Order: sequence, then structure tokens, then C-alpha cells
Amino acid sequence: MAQPGVISEYAERLARELDFDPSLARGVRREVEDHLWEAVSADPAGDRSDAEQRAVAKFGDPHAIAAQFAVVSVARQARTVSRAGIFVVAAVFMAMKARLGWYAVMEYPAPPSGALSAVVLSIDRGAFWVALLVAMVAWMYIGTRPIPSALTPDYRLQLRRFFRLCVAATGALLASVLCDGVLTSIRLAGTASFLEAVVPLASMAGEVVCAGGLLWSIRGMTRRTASASRAARMR
Amino acid sequence: MEGEMLKGHLDMIVLAALSAGPAHGYAVIEEIKRRSAGAFDLPEGTIYPVLHRLEQAGLLAGRWVTAESGRRRRVYSVTRRGERELGERRAVWEQFSVAIDSVFKGSRPWHNPA
Repeated sequence: MAQPGVISEYAERLARELDFDPSLARGVRREVEDHLWEAVSADPAGDRSDAEQRAVAKFGDPHAIAAQFAVVSVARQARTVSRAGIFVVAAVFMAMKARLGWYAVMEYPAPPSGALSAVVLSIDRGAFWVALLVAMVAWMYIGTRPIPSALTPDYRLQLRRFFRLCVAATGALLASVLCDGVLTSIRLAGTASFLEAVVPLASMAGEVVCAGGLLWSIRGMTRRTASASRAARMR
Repeated sequence: MEGEMLKGHLDMIVLAALSAGPAHGYAVIEEIKRRSAGAFDLPEGTIYPVLHRLEQAGLLAGRWVTAESGRRRRVYSVTRRGERELGERRAVWEQFSVAIDSVFKGSRPWHNPA
């Protein structure tokens, strides 16, 4: 005889198996419960408890299903990070343009034309374009890889390559933001009022937050990938 | 039908089942069973990772709706990219099927000596 709550117990078990990706677990749980209740209402036999047991048995082993979801979760994470990379580089560019626009509007004196400024400016430009280029390569690379049905060695290799691209793009972006910081501090050195410096400082803070956010999302991706891989291996 | 053989073609089967129109997971499984006359009978849960994977790949689009029962339900439909992909896979499958047929026609049926 079936126990009451067979379906919710099963859905709960499956959600626990998917704990490496909480948002996926919530969505899948809702979807699976709907499926199982639909199966129960379509069951021709009169006994509801038996119908619930049959529906759960036909659905399959939650361990095996979660292992198949692991690769979906990893692919989703990677694609989200690749889009975030492009977005962050664009946001840093806009912050930089806003700062330069503010200098023009406020008629800031031209920056001192020292050797340090010139070197930092060229590093800044180079690092920024490297960050943009590598972020776009990473986005195209992971976006064009087919998502396999399991975490195959090939797909793991592709994920490692993608991770290296992300690290390279983030490193270049951090270098660019650092150079922006140096250039901004040189430019603001003679500023008389704090109000005049608010926009440049806010734009710098924005750049730092964006670059930090990208680092954070890469860290999140690697952690989730590791736990999803463990989940896939354990089953 | 052999489970492993079926798993290799599950993406194509799911896309084909959804080509008739948007459906939720349960309806997709029922459609696959109906079209295959019950020959394709996998554990039902196997379909969901496939649906999510195809959605992630941009071949399906999913959206939440409220069913008549009041439950929230995820409904999937084939995207344009999915239609193109299905067309390509169908063409490859037809070529493969014709080739296998030709090979089988040239062989003798196997008899159990026991």
C-alpha cells in the first residue's frame, strides 16, 4: 500500500539530488510534480495510492536523472558566465566613456603628459582590447559547443579551455581597471572640490564592482561545476 | 527497443514529438509512445534533462503556464533553430536508414542452430 505523499517525497528526493544547482532544483521539482500528478490522473486503475507508486516507478531513479541534469547545469552556468563577461567589459567601457565625458563637460585641464601617464594609458588600452577580444572568443567558444547528454571527457576539456579564457579575459580587465584607477588619480590630483570628482570616482567604483562581479561569477561557476561533476561521478 | 540505442537518438525524437506543437513533458512522452506504438518506453524522467538541454542549446523554448488543474506547468516549443536542426537530423537519418536497409537486404536471415 502506498504511503501518503509519495509524489512530494519523490520530488523532494530529486530536488535534494539536484542541490548543486538550487534554481534548477526548484524548477525541476515543480515540473516533475506536475508530470507525476498528470500521470496519476491518467492512470486507469481506481486506487490513487497505487497510481502514485506506479507514476513514481515509471519516472525512474532520481540519482540517474540528477546525473543527467548535472551537465545541463554546468552548461547553463558556463553560458551565463560567458554572457556576463561581455556585459561587464561593455559596462567598464561605458563607465570609462562617462568619466571622459565628465572631464570634457567640466573642462578639466588636460592630463599631465608624463612618461608614466603614456605607459599606463597604453597598457590600459591594450589590456581593455585583450579583455574584450578574449571575452568574445570565450562567449563564442562555449556557445557553439554542443551540450552532451553526460559530462564526457571531451566536454570537461572544453570547459577547462573556457575557464582559461575567462581567467585571461578577467585578468586583462582587472589590469585595465587598475590602469584606469592610476589615470583617474593622476587626473583628479589637482581637483579643488569633491563634487567635481564624484562622477569619476563613481565610474571607477562601477568598474571595480563590475570586474569583481565577473570574478565572483567565475568562482561560482567553478564551484558549481565541481559539485555537478561530483554528482555526475557519484552516480 | 534497446535503451542505449534509443538514448543516442533521444534529441531527435523529442524534437520530432514537439514539432506538432507546444507541449509539456508528460504530453511529449505520451506523444512519443503513441507515435512509436509503445516501442519507445524509457523511464519517463529521462525526457526532462533532454528538454532542458535542448532549451539550453536554443533548439526549444520553455515557458511556465498555469494548467486547468491550477498547477504551474512548463510548456516547450520548437524554435526556428530547432526546426532547422530537426530537418538536418531527419535528412541524415533517412540516408543512414536507406544505407542500413541496403546492407541488410544483402544478408541472409540468422537461424538459431539450437
